[in-house]
Amino acid sequence: MTSSAPDIRIENLTIGYGGKPIIEDINATLPGGGVSVILGGSGCGKSTLLKNILKLNPAMGGSVYLGKHNIFTLKKKAFSCLKQRIGVLFQDGALLGALNLFDNVALPLREHTKLKPAEIAEVVKAKLSLVGLEKFVDYFPNELSGGMRKRAGLARAMVMDPDILFCDEPTSGLDPINSAELDELLLELKKRFEMTIVVVSHDLASMQAIADYVLVLGKGKTLFNGSKESLMATDDVYLRQFLDRKGEKRESSRITMPHLDPSVMRMDCNKLLGDLDNN
Amino acid sequence: MPQSVPEKTIMQPFAFLGKVSLNILGEAGAICIFLFEAILHVFSSLGIFTKTIKELYFIGVRSITVISLIGLFTGMVVGLQTYYALSKFGSEGFLGAAVALSLVRELGPVLTAIMLTGRAGSSMTAEIGVMRISEQIDALELMDINPMSYLVSPKLLASLISFPILTALFDLIGIAGGYLSGVALLGGNSGVYFHRVCTSLSWEDISAGFTKSIVFAVVVCIVCCFQGYFTHFRKDGKGAEGVSQATTTAVVMSCVMVLVTDYILTSLLFQ
Repeated sequence: MTSSAPDIRIENLTIGYGGKPIIEDINATLPGGGVSVILGGSGCGKSTLLKNILKLNPAMGGSVYLGKHNIFTLKKKAFSCLKQRIGVLFQDGALLGALNLFDNVALPLREHTKLKPAEIAEVVKAKLSLVGLEKFVDYFPNELSGGMRKRAGLARAMVMDPDILFCDEPTSGLDPINSAELDELLLELKKRFEMTIVVVSHDLASMQAIADYVLVLGKGKTLFNGSKESLMATDDVYLRQFLDRKGEKRESSRITMPHLDPSVMRMDCNKLLGDLDNN
Repeated sequence: MPQSVPEKTIMQPFAFLGKVSLNILGEAGAICIFLFEAILHVFSSLGIFTKTIKELYFIGVRSITVISLIGLFTGMVVGLQTYYALSKFGSEGFLGAAVALSLVRELGPVLTAIMLTGRAGSSMTAEIGVMRISEQIDALELMDINPMSYLVSPKLLASLISFPILTALFDLIGIAGGYLSGVALLGGNSGVYFHRVCTSLSWEDISAGFTKSIVFAVVVCIVCCFQGYFTHFRKDGKGAEGVSQATTTAVVMSCVMVLVTDYILTSLLFQ
C-alpha cells in the first residue's frame, strides 16, 4: 500500500485462553491503508487474536507491531498515546448504557482534547451524520436496534480520527441490507480517511465486499495469509469447503432420531389444543 | 515420592485449609491494591467532581428516605425497649442518654452502612458487573479512559461524603424516634430526655461515630466495586449469573466486613 496509514505486523504470535494455546506462531503483515479481514469459523480464535493485538488479553508469545511500535514492550504512557490513535468497534457496539448517543460519542473528545463544548458538539454531529444517526443524539443504547448500536459504536470509534480501526464481527446479527450498508460505510471510511482497517468476521459476503487482504485462521493455525484474489483462487480442500460453504458430513446425520412420546409430557397439550393439523 | 493413602487422607484437611487461607489472603491483597488504585485516581482524574456529583445524588440523595425511615423506627424500638428496662429500676430519666449513646456510637454508623450496602452497594456491583460482561469496560480501556478513574474513584469519593452525612441524619431521626416512643407515647419527661441527650454525648462519641462511618464507606464501596469489576474472573457463574453471584457476594461480604471492622474500631476508639 502507498498510504501513510501504519501496517500491523504480527510475528510468531501465540494466543490462548487460561494458559492453553489456541493458535500458535501467527505471522502476518496487515497492510496500512487497506482493509484486512481476519476470517475463520466460530470459536477458532479470531476475537481472541483481536484482543491480543489490542492488549486486552495477554499473548502467550511473539510480538505485534502497530507501525514501528511493538505494543507488548511499549511503555504505559506511549501505549496510552497509541490507544488514542486506534478506534475499536466491538461486537455489540459496547456503548455505555448510562449515556445517550451524543455523550457516548463525545466521551473520548471530553477526556482527551481541549475542545470547547460547542466544538465537541460539531464533531459529534458530523460523526453521527457519517453513520446516519444524527437524528438519534438523545437516544440511549437500549432504545436502538442492533444495527444502529453498531453504527453508533463506529461513530464513537471514529471520533478521534484514528489511524487504525478494528472491527469485531461488524455484520454479525444484521440483516443482509444492514450488513451491506455497514460494508459500504467501512469502504467509504477507508477511502475518505485513508486508515488501516482490520475486520474480524466469519461473513464471507462481507469479506468479498471489503477485503484487500485476508488472514484465515482455523484448526489451531494460520490457514491462509494473502490477498483476497489469491484466497478465492485457492485449491486447499478446507479453504474451498469454507469458501463454498460446504459442511463436513457427520456420522450424526445417519443416526435415527427417536420421537418424543406425547404420553411423557407433563401437560396434555393434545387434549387442550387438539391436533394442530385439524381446523 | 508418592504419598500413601492414609497419609493423603490425613493431609487433606490441612491442604484444604492452606488453599482457603491462600485464597482469602490473595483476595485481601487484591482488594488492597484495588483500594490503593482507586485513591490514586481520585487525585489524578480529570473531571472527577462532575462524576462525583452524579454519584452523590445516587448514593446520598436517593438514600435519604430509606435511611430516615430506618432511623426513625430503630430509634423508636430502642426508646421502647430501653424505657421498659429502665422503668424497672425507676431510672426512666436516663432514656435520652441510652438512646443517644447507642445510636451515635453503634447503631447509627452500622445500620446506615448496612442499609447503604443493600441500596447503593448492590447496584454499584451490578452496574460495574454488567459493564464488564458487555465489554463496556474494555471499550473504556481502549478509549484510553481509565475505568478506575471513570467508574470507581467517583463512587469512592461520593461514598466518603454520603456515609457520614447519612449517619448523622440517621442519628438525629433516631433520637427523635426515641423521643416519640419514650416520651410522646409512654409518657416520659420531655425536658429530661433532651437534657440527657445533650449531657451524655461527648465530642469523642460523635467523632468516633463519624470515623466509623468513613471506614465503612471505604469498606462497602471498595468491596462492592471490586466484586463487579472482576465479575469475569468468577468461577461460580459467567454472564448474567456471574453478575448476580457477584452482587450477592458483595452484599454479604460488605455486611460481614462492616461488623468485623465495627468490633475492631469500637475496641480501638472506646478504650
